[in-house]
Amino acid sequence: MHLVELSREEHSQLKISPDLAEASAARQHLIPIVASEFRKAAIQYPIVFAKNPETGRFAPYVLNGLEPEENLFWSGTKLDVAYVPLNIRRRPFFVGMADTASGAKDNVLCIDIESPCLTASGKNSIVDGDGSDSPYLKEILSILRELIDGQQQTSSLINTALSLDLLCPIVLDIVLEDGKPLQVEGLYSIDEDRFRSLGKDKIEMLWNDGVMELLYSVIISTGQIFNLVRLRNEREALNRAWRDNEK
Amino acid sequence: MPHVIRSICIVGGGTAGWLTAGIIAARHRRSEDGHGIRITLIESDTIGTIGVGEGTWPTMRTTLKKMGVSETDFFRECNTSFKQGARFARWVTGDPSDFYYHPLVLPEGFPSLDLASAWMEYAKKRQDAPSFSNAVSYQEAVCELGLAPKLITSPEYAGIANYAYHLDAGRFVSFIRDHCVKRLGVHHVVDDVTSVIRSESGDIAYVETSKSGQLDGDLFIDCSGFRSLLLGETMGVPFIDCSDVLFIDRALAVQVPYDAEDSDIVPHTVSTAQKHGWIWDIGLQSRRGVGYVFSSSHTTADAALGELQAYIGEKHRSLQPREIKIHAGHRQTFWKGNCVAVGLAGGFLEPLEASALVLIELSAEMIGGMLPATRETMHVLAKRFNETTQYRWDRIIDFLKLHYILSKREDSQFWIDNRDPASIPDSLKDQIELWRYRAPGDQDFTSNAEMFPAASYQYVLFGMGFRMDTSDREPNGHASAVQQAFARNESLKIKWTKALPNNRSLINKIKEFGLQRI
Repeated sequence: MHLVELSREEHSQLKISPDLAEASAARQHLIPIVASEFRKAAIQYPIVFAKNPETGRFAPYVLNGLEPEENLFWSGTKLDVAYVPLNIRRRPFFVGMADTASGAKDNVLCIDIESPCLTASGKNSIVDGDGSDSPYLKEILSILRELIDGQQQTSSLINTALSLDLLCPIVLDIVLEDGKPLQVEGLYSIDEDRFRSLGKDKIEMLWNDGVMELLYSVIISTGQIFNLVRLRNEREALNRAWRDNEK
Repeated sequence: MPHVIRSICIVGGGTAGWLTAGIIAARHRRSEDGHGIRITLIESDTIGTIGVGEGTWPTMRTTLKKMGVSETDFFRECNTSFKQGARFARWVTGDPSDFYYHPLVLPEGFPSLDLASAWMEYAKKRQDAPSFSNAVSYQEAVCELGLAPKLITSPEYAGIANYAYHLDAGRFVSFIRDHCVKRLGVHHVVDDVTSVIRSESGDIAYVETSKSGQLDGDLFIDCSGFRSLLLGETMGVPFIDCSDVLFIDRALAVQVPYDAEDSDIVPHTVSTAQKHGWIWDIGLQSRRGVGYVFSSSHTTADAALGELQAYIGEKHRSLQPREIKIHAGHRQTFWKGNCVAVGLAGGFLEPLEASALVLIELSAEMIGGMLPATRETMHVLAKRFNETTQYRWDRIIDFLKLHYILSKREDSQFWIDNRDPASIPDSLKDQIELWRYRAPGDQDFTSNAEMFPAASYQYVLFGMGFRMDTSDREPNGHASAVQQAFARNESLKIKWTKALPNNRSLINKIKEFGLQRI
């Protein structure tokens, strides 16, 4: 990966194929999301919390596989999902932080010039013929805007959940159809017993802050784990069939 | 009407006083409806604290957690760093290359598998055999690389590798004091005790103070330090001297700055044997705490200073060490009447295995666990407390002495005298005889007041080259399980030396981002 600040002039000739962005998630089992995505994400993925490996701080993710580097939704050509998270759709663009003259940090639009999305066969450019932002770039900008705006609400959700002791570790103890045991660690979810025992004042606060529906989205989404297990079993069965054929 | 213990008066506000207050208050703090125990701590602002004891045991994690302290705050406030056991240098032959580890991670498969005997047989045959601790635990490798025992994603108080702490004793006292007063409802009196008044029964009735008048309590805890104001001076409990076993009676302590702000912090205690004692070296965040403990009947303070200066190097020649006189030993009993001593008031031993703070924790935990009780039943508590505490002191003395008797150093009378059979407790002699034929195991340590696990004895014995006679050993049928355990240790070594972060960089991250509670 090599990020550089996007320049409408310098990068005007780049051809981009956004479809290929999905391939970059082929070996990603956790994809970060923001609070505004919870309702859409919940129809496809388990929403879990995990710690950022660099800071140890909690963030929400959608779970795509049952072990690191596994994405069970990757079909080989695309993510076979009803909803693709913003953090995939924005690729190959990133938001970087740069020092401004005043010393404050500012958001800077960056592009990964080593991304496989940059390809001669790409149908998208960042600018139109007249030099104005292309509809494609405008869409990217709106995605990035939603991600940046969503950070505030997301970290406030995390802080609320932590202050009410609502997060708890989940250890997925799975036995696959072929008898193989599988343990997924490092994931956290909502402690439902604790959630249900909250007092009226806390519940009212969660309603007013818009946190309630987020918590319910997470709780409901947990059932999607069964879908991941199903996909994994299918994958294992395919692998077995493949190996048996080779014999 | 039984006289229920409703109030505790702690005299002395060093580490012993505040830790004891915190541990008991965490269990028995007085609630609004009047249940629980009222805890008062009297602290002088004219008497200083000794402030040694910068190394802890892993027990401190549970102690702080139970008190409701955040580990992140503890790192931010107390100059805290990680301790993953100790590296003993030059203890066996005195050669510069001579060292062994006493790590905190237990041998792989311990106690159900006996790796010690298998290692011993191998080590007898092979010159290039790994050290005992390296063969059975991955922590030596982690320590040698200067790595931390956990990750930034590990929750507070949870470790990948077992760990304890190094801390700044002065800051630790302020930190715990603050927590006790603000969170645990401990009543704090800053004053000097002018006299201790006993009732007709012999109990302590109250203490008289300069400004706050008389302060009473159902139970008095003496945390007055070496002076032992309540238990020693007032109750007349004599001091049992142990200097016939452990000769160290002086410490020269100095604070050594790091070369640079980002210098590595050594993630274990380093103990380097000298001609007449040994030097501790403890890496905190902002400085090292270094000190030479020696025997004044074997050398002079000037000669000791020379050895200490040689250790810390020419660059720090101007540092002025502080001299502390220490007396190895303890009170004859620790609880008499309604008075119990915790910390230095109960006794002191050289800090070779960082036993000071852990004894405070265990004593306070035991007192807290015995309450609520009545004055009428207190003699039962006292008897139990005395038996347990005496047992603990005896085990610590044995374990410290073990380090000395296994040394092969001959470069001074100090080391030779230390191996004089007359200076070795019978209990230790007996154990050593047994261990000539089999490794230390849980069967040797059956009390529930046990201090050191059998694994600790293994690390020290085999780290110091003790040889077991394994010729009569019948095959135990565990051979493949033993080989698997050795292999498991090797893969853990590879895994964790890759995954664990540099010690200082993790501590910096903890200060910046904090650890999560879950």
